[in-house]
Amino acid sequence: MQRFLDPAVLAGISSLELLAKTVVDGFVAGLHRSPDFGFSQEFAEYRAYTPGDDLRHVDWNLFARTERAYLKRYRGETNSHLMVLLDASNSMLYTSGSPHAGPPRKMDYARFIAASLFYLAIRKQRDAAGLIVFDDEVRDCVRPSTRLGQLSRLFAALEQAEPHARTDFGKPLRHFQNLLHRRGIVIVISDFYQNPEIIVQAMEPLKFRGNEVVLFHVLDPQEMRPMLKSSAIVVDLETEQKIEVIPEYVKTTYREKADAHVEQLRSRTRAAGMDYQLLLTNQPLDGALREYLSLRQAGN
Amino acid sequence: MGFLSPWFFGGLAALGVPVFVHLLRRHVSVPMPVASLMFFAHGTQSSTRHRKLRNRWLFVLRVALILLLVLAFANPFVGRSTVDENGRLLLILLDNSFSMRAGSRFREAKREALTLLAAKPHAQRAQVMELGDRLEVLTQPIADDAQLRSALESIQPGDSHANFAELGRAIRASAETQRGPIDLNLFSDMQRTSMPANFADMILPGDATLVLHSVATGVTPPNWTVESVEAPTQLADPKDPQRSRVHAVVAGFGTPAAAKNISLVIQGKVVAMKKVDVPANGRATVDFAPLNVEYGFNRCEVRIDGDDAFPADDASTFVVRRSDPERVLFVHAAGDARSPLYFGAALSAGAQGSYILQSVAAEQTTNLDPARFTFVVLSNTSTLPPIFEHTMEQYAAKGGNVLIALGTDVFRHGKIPLWGGNVTDIHNYAGANAATVASVDFTYPALAQAAPGRANGGWAETKVFYAAAVVPGAARVAARLSDGTPFLLDRQLGEGHLLLLTSGLENLTNDLPLHPVFVTFIDHLARFLSGSERLSGSTQVDSFVQLRGSAEPVGEVSSVEVIDPDGHRPLSLSEARSVQSFQLRRAGFYQIRFANGRDAVIGVNPDRRESDLAPISEDVQKLWSGNSGREGQPVPAAPAKYRPVNLWWYVMLLALAAALAEMLLASGYMGTQREEV
Repeated sequence: MQRFLDPAVLAGISSLELLAKTVVDGFVAGLHRSPDFGFSQEFAEYRAYTPGDDLRHVDWNLFARTERAYLKRYRGETNSHLMVLLDASNSMLYTSGSPHAGPPRKMDYARFIAASLFYLAIRKQRDAAGLIVFDDEVRDCVRPSTRLGQLSRLFAALEQAEPHARTDFGKPLRHFQNLLHRRGIVIVISDFYQNPEIIVQAMEPLKFRGNEVVLFHVLDPQEMRPMLKSSAIVVDLETEQKIEVIPEYVKTTYREKADAHVEQLRSRTRAAGMDYQLLLTNQPLDGALREYLSLRQAGN
Repeated sequence: MGFLSPWFFGGLAALGVPVFVHLLRRHVSVPMPVASLMFFAHGTQSSTRHRKLRNRWLFVLRVALILLLVLAFANPFVGRSTVDENGRLLLILLDNSFSMRAGSRFREAKREALTLLAAKPHAQRAQVMELGDRLEVLTQPIADDAQLRSALESIQPGDSHANFAELGRAIRASAETQRGPIDLNLFSDMQRTSMPANFADMILPGDATLVLHSVATGVTPPNWTVESVEAPTQLADPKDPQRSRVHAVVAGFGTPAAAKNISLVIQGKVVAMKKVDVPANGRATVDFAPLNVEYGFNRCEVRIDGDDAFPADDASTFVVRRSDPERVLFVHAAGDARSPLYFGAALSAGAQGSYILQSVAAEQTTNLDPARFTFVVLSNTSTLPPIFEHTMEQYAAKGGNVLIALGTDVFRHGKIPLWGGNVTDIHNYAGANAATVASVDFTYPALAQAAPGRANGGWAETKVFYAAAVVPGAARVAARLSDGTPFLLDRQLGEGHLLLLTSGLENLTNDLPLHPVFVTFIDHLARFLSGSERLSGSTQVDSFVQLRGSAEPVGEVSSVEVIDPDGHRPLSLSEARSVQSFQLRRAGFYQIRFANGRDAVIGVNPDRRESDLAPISEDVQKLWSGNSGREGQPVPAAPAKYRPVNLWWYVMLLALAAALAEMLLASGYMGTQREEV
């Protein structure tokens, strides 16, 4: 089943729903062999009653036998909100592979992740899921819902999400706060080509509002370890700026800068109470799904 | 190596194309997209690194391809020496004449020739010839060193007289068929006596370069030789003081005055010895008489005792045949008494022969057997008894010789016995219009005179009053009258000869019997008709002996036999039944059996001109070799000629190979070519 999670294989599946089902079913089948995770409404623990607790949660049978009040708690007894913020800037178009081989475009990889998350949330967890597509402003928004057809709407929104312009977290995040009324899980999928400080500052308000914020940093492997045989002219996909670079720089300074950027982003987000996950486009998608489930479990 | 079309080198400018493709074009690369320039910084390639060629092997192949194409169109060629085809022909001539036997001349000449042959380039063609009285070709123009060497080593010294005129003639004839220049190397003692009287006969063709390798160096060694021997070939009476004698001439070439012992050797035994004083560089004569020889063939030799520089020419051989006087049948008309008288007188006066003349009238010849006579004379006989005429025809066919002299009877009847033709006309020169014998072939044996002298050898003083006109047909005309009428004709009949004298022997139709030339004529005629001079005596090397009368023998074919001085039979069986003449190429005694069954032993001596060892003067040698006026300078080597061998195809094949390699390599590069970031 692992091969169904390979991005290169998934790139050949045109239907996002089928893609998401394939990913999630494969992922869930793998989970059944794991004793650590479960998501049905099952008994979790007993906790001593403290004043202020809801009396509806008191296990009265146990109180009758022991004359002590305990609260009986179940897992998954509450539905979560999953909100995916998908970066649709031009930089997400980059790929080091060809149309028929190699890793998919970062945008496609991001779609795969979002579709899989939506499928997992709605079909398996019965969570409400929504989508905001943004670049330097909000391009599309599907409000979180558990209604019938929500998954189709989300997939359609993902299909229509074509990259434009450049990334700007500041401007669209003001709209995020208006759109996110309930607490939930906010997953930001982007390549985060911006100062980590600015990114964290933009995301912190979401955290302050009680959301679990996860940053899925999608990068092509070549962006981390680029190979250049000779000097070349490179052009920025967002700004179309061209500069000449030399292999020596790419081999040394670039990698140092990229590593420093990832590390800085990782440390800053964690310092701000957010989770960070680096996803390379040649890696399977289960890392992202596992991160979601662990957050959801932690949220319970 | 040369380039026939050097202007095509302008195509080398196309070399810039691969340079542009592999070096310059790399700079105009397509910008590679990246997600962000956030981590990139501007950098400039160093010049050295910047201009480093990419895909070096592909670049090399492309450059090589263009270079080869340019070379191919420049049409290069290599100059291959043409000695192996139409180049200079190395002609090696080794003189093997008799004089080369002197000292170590032949050995040295052969060694030098072998050395030259060994130094010959392997591909050069060469031809080996030996020079004697004629130029004998031993090999064709070939490059096979082993065959050439074998041919050269097979040459042995001979007994012939070298003839440079023959050399010049043969080379000129060869140059007409042999294309290309000739390097003629002559290894010889350059004997002066080998030169012809006319220097122009020695001249070689223009494209022949003569290099003389003379083995006669230093002072010419003194040499005595028996220059000539006069001895009777046939002797009937050893006590005849006039004929039983040997007269020898001893000559010295480059010699001081010296007393030499001269020996007469008969059948291997020294029978007489005389001491003569030979003047410096002069001649002396010596006579040996009487000549006591046995019946049969006596092998004789006049020898100079004491060695000199050239011992091989110190003896002269000859053969004396002792026999009883030979009988001659003289058939005449019944009333003709003059002709046998004149003929018999002349015959007995002859110096060489000894004959007994038996004259008989034509009517009395019926029972005569002509085979018992050495030859037959038919004088003024118009008719013969049929039996005798038939017998005479058989006699002639088997080798008998007949002299037919016409006369008044024949003129009257017009019929010539045996001859096969009749008198067509009678020329009457009576009175003041008497004809003379104006044209005489002195090479004809019966008329032979070494030096005819005044009045055409005496023939011009004769007067002919009547002569018969006959159609010569196939007969040889040996003498003609002043009006062109044939006077003496010779016709072959089987193995025999028929001689026809168109006038008479009786002093009526001419006054020939009254002249001294008549005695000489009859003497020579008798020797020729009897064939005695062919049976013994001496002759020179390279002379020919006629073994049979005609190539198409009449009647039964009889074989001839020749035994050379070494006891070998040089003729094969088929040759013995067909060959007409034989060349005596060795010195010594030859035994011969002619087709008519007669045996002969002949002494063969080298040409005494070979005994004069003096070489041609240096000036003449240089003149001959075309090097006159460049004394002390070596013969310039002829400019080497080359045949251009075009390399176009080879270069194009290389270009094709480079193109294929480039295609394979380029497809490999293109297959893996991709964006590099």
